[in-house]
Amino acid sequence: MQNALLLTLLLPSIATPIVYFIGKRKAKAAGLLVALIAVIDIALLFTIVPSVLNSTEHQYVEAYYWIPTLGSSLTLFADGISLSLAIITLILIVAAALFSINYMQERKGLPEYYALLTLLFVGLVGVFLTSNLLLFYFCWELMLVPAYFIIGGWGYKEPYRAAFKFFIFTHAGAVFVLLGIGAIFMVTGDLNMFQAKDALMLVEPDLVKWILLSLTVGFAVKMAVVPVHMWLPDAHSEAPAPMSALLSGVIISAGAYAILRLSLGIVFPAIMGTDFGSLFLHGLAVFGVISAFFGSFIALVENDVKRIIAYSSIAHMGYVLFGLSLFPFQNAITGTVLHLVNHAVSKGLLFLSAGALMKQLEIRDIREMGGLAGQMPVTATSSATSALSIAGIPPFACFFSEFLIFIGAFEIINNDGFYLFPTALMLVATVLSLAYALRYVTHIFLGPQKIAEVKESPMAMKFSMAILTVLVVILGVWPTFFIQLITTASFV
Amino acid sequence: MLEILDVCLPIASFVVYSLLTLPIFKYARKIKNANKKLLLTLVWFSIIYASAAFAVANLATKYYEQATTQPLVNVTFAENSQLIFSSTFSIDAVSIYMAVMFTIVSAIVFLYGLFHIGFSEKTSGRYYAVMLMITGCLIGTAFSGDFLTLFILWEATAAGSSFLMLYGGTKASFYATLKYLVMIVIASAFIIYGLSIIYGITGTLNFWAVKEALIALENKQILALAFIFIAAGYAIEAAIVPFHMWLPDAYTAAPASSSAFLSALVDQGSYYVLLRVLIYVLTPPKVFEWTFMLAVLSALTMVLGNLFALTERNVKRLFAYVCIADVGYNLVAITSVTPLGVMGNLYFFFIGGITTALSFMAVGILNKMGFKTLESISGIGRKMPLTSLALTLSAFSFAGVPPFAGFIAKYLVFTAAIEANMGWLAVLGVLTSVIQAAYLLRLINYMYAKEPKIEEKVKEPKKMLIPIFIFVAAIIILGIYPTIILNLIEPVIQQLPSIF
Repeated sequence: MQNALLLTLLLPSIATPIVYFIGKRKAKAAGLLVALIAVIDIALLFTIVPSVLNSTEHQYVEAYYWIPTLGSSLTLFADGISLSLAIITLILIVAAALFSINYMQERKGLPEYYALLTLLFVGLVGVFLTSNLLLFYFCWELMLVPAYFIIGGWGYKEPYRAAFKFFIFTHAGAVFVLLGIGAIFMVTGDLNMFQAKDALMLVEPDLVKWILLSLTVGFAVKMAVVPVHMWLPDAHSEAPAPMSALLSGVIISAGAYAILRLSLGIVFPAIMGTDFGSLFLHGLAVFGVISAFFGSFIALVENDVKRIIAYSSIAHMGYVLFGLSLFPFQNAITGTVLHLVNHAVSKGLLFLSAGALMKQLEIRDIREMGGLAGQMPVTATSSATSALSIAGIPPFACFFSEFLIFIGAFEIINNDGFYLFPTALMLVATVLSLAYALRYVTHIFLGPQKIAEVKESPMAMKFSMAILTVLVVILGVWPTFFIQLITTASFV
Repeated sequence: MLEILDVCLPIASFVVYSLLTLPIFKYARKIKNANKKLLLTLVWFSIIYASAAFAVANLATKYYEQATTQPLVNVTFAENSQLIFSSTFSIDAVSIYMAVMFTIVSAIVFLYGLFHIGFSEKTSGRYYAVMLMITGCLIGTAFSGDFLTLFILWEATAAGSSFLMLYGGTKASFYATLKYLVMIVIASAFIIYGLSIIYGITGTLNFWAVKEALIALENKQILALAFIFIAAGYAIEAAIVPFHMWLPDAYTAAPASSSAFLSALVDQGSYYVLLRVLIYVLTPPKVFEWTFMLAVLSALTMVLGNLFALTERNVKRLFAYVCIADVGYNLVAITSVTPLGVMGNLYFFFIGGITTALSFMAVGILNKMGFKTLESISGIGRKMPLTSLALTLSAFSFAGVPPFAGFIAKYLVFTAAIEANMGWLAVLGVLTSVIQAAYLLRLINYMYAKEPKIEEKVKEPKKMLIPIFIFVAAIIILGIYPTIILNLIEPVIQQLPSIF
């Protein structure tokens, strides 16, 4: 199709008011409509998969007139990496929208909720599908406003407080990204990523260093790497479950994608091979290890259903950051992107099933739960599948991507002895993640029954969990499609 | 060919309509039938702005027909004799742009004023007349080509503004206006003193003649003295920290439509004067190197403006401090002295103006209902959904969050600072803009997160929401597709190489 990417973004943006007005009449229909739009978007993206796989450049680009004065056109672009992340995002949105139909049923203001969800996914998908820096930032921040209101308006405890924290932290990170983008525009005179990459090669390394740091710090906030992770546990655990699934599944992945695409893919080549270059990568590895341990340890001692999962997200972003630090080794990068995909599905499923628990039980402390496997079989199966996937057990999704990251790490140890120690530590961290995943499943679903009458979740919730459960298993046994797609994208 | 008549037409039409407004609104006050009254005022409103728009459009087309051969068009009353003291109008792309923006914004704020102020008092006709007169003076300021014309028309604007502040008739507004007048008088004294030095050195007051004479000047010490006086004078009028004290009082005490008018038009006018005098006449480094001093002031203004706003609990006063912070962001762009900076300035003038106007208008509705402080607007989001929506969107635009227009404005400003090698100013700018996001989000939190204080239903005044939502639509459309405004600014940027 000629305008597939433009339509992908235009469709949800135009649909936002329609969703609102349909939601006014019938909230369920609005939820279905959001899911339908996401499905159409997936179909649109699949139409360009062949051209990405088979063309010589392995890219697909569309350009439209936007702001010529600032050297910006509306350049939409897709390669293997962005396409696979966009597809997985849309799949999660389908699941989240279907899940919301039952989950949000009794809440007020549903038309607004679904309209905001539609708006959110314009930004979310747009981040992956552009090669113009200004448009990238535009979409990057576009997620912020709807996410703020969804967390604040429909969350738990003191939701606006969590939403405030989320907004301020990520916005503070984003302004550094803006500075970096402004500096790139200034020194290269171009806002197209790939032209900027070539132009940056000629710029003096001292300046490139600052641009690289400013961008990476900004992205790291969204990715919730340890010293700047403080917003994540609150935002992820207080948000309504579908939103948590999106936050933990894709919004933090967008941070990782941005580090890969912009920091490492565009700016880093200009200083690759210098002392600072290797220092930077080592730094990423160290922060990755710290995040992985920090997240895992706290997940081991937390008792709140959703907070456990939130901290496990921090741990997993640690793996991803470690994987990114192995740049530009092909296996490691493929593994990292694949891990983003797998983690998105698994974590999304885990959050949805936690939401199902909270909805049916109206408690969130895992010490008060127990023996629910018999009463809530679907929820139990999906929780167990996703938890084991998170722990990296074959044949579930995350196993394969973690495996690829470690293969990459072993490859690099031959060249750079520094990685020996971090790799060993990361292997230890996988054991920790198995520990908290097993603790989570045992406490909630096994053991003696503690609550007498519990019903299984309603239809739409079961259905959306089932989709993702199947997907987790499929990705675990047959990751070929995404691996093919990801390996077409080339760096350096 | 551009004639003196074409230049005077927009100014004169506003002045004439201002005088005609008095008897017409006096008559309208007497009409008992509310619908008829509304119809009459709306018809009069459309006549004024349609013809003013025609006058401005006429000038713009005539200018652009001619601009290819001669970017700067000087028009004087007395052709040959006594050029020194004859008022000069000089038209270039900047003045055209400002005139267009002044006319558009003035129309919408005027419309809001009609619904907000109404005809409750005997003097209300005069209020509208002053509004029109000020718009005329502002357009004249944009057209003026020498220091004297600029001084007269700009001071007329400033003096006229005091009537708008005073209109509420409260004790607070009286004191605030007094404060403003005292500051303005001091400012104009400074400016006059500086100008007399400049006239003494160069023997002329025409912008371009002054510039040429100053470039040739060898000993610049005395120029530094003149610069300090002029800069201090205009800094007071633009409310640059530490000369900002009048602004929060004045904007808080004035009625909402006045605050909207002052922040959207008079404030932008004062930035324009700074831009014209600093960049076009005292062009650094050719004439005088003033950038560092202004950079320090802009840093101060950004930091203090935002910190004051952070501690403020009165909603209207909070937005007054946002105005001060905006002065700081504008100054960042002016001090960068780059084409990108000028573009950022001109875009920011318009966007900042309509966003502040929008928020003051929305706050005006809240104030009318008796909600003044942050605590009292708790839970207003559910009681007055449209007003709070407008206020929320304006807050996001201020914070520089896409897809709202404030984002492109801030992006341009900070990029300009980086281009001018003032990375520290850009970093400070983005950090303060995070503070800005914080207190604006707190405002939104109060509106949506807290429980409402009042039980009964509140009826939103639908009419006042019309101009507000025109501005809301503008900030969204210009945020997604800023090319509309940037195309208007394009000619300005093309003319800049003759300046730098």
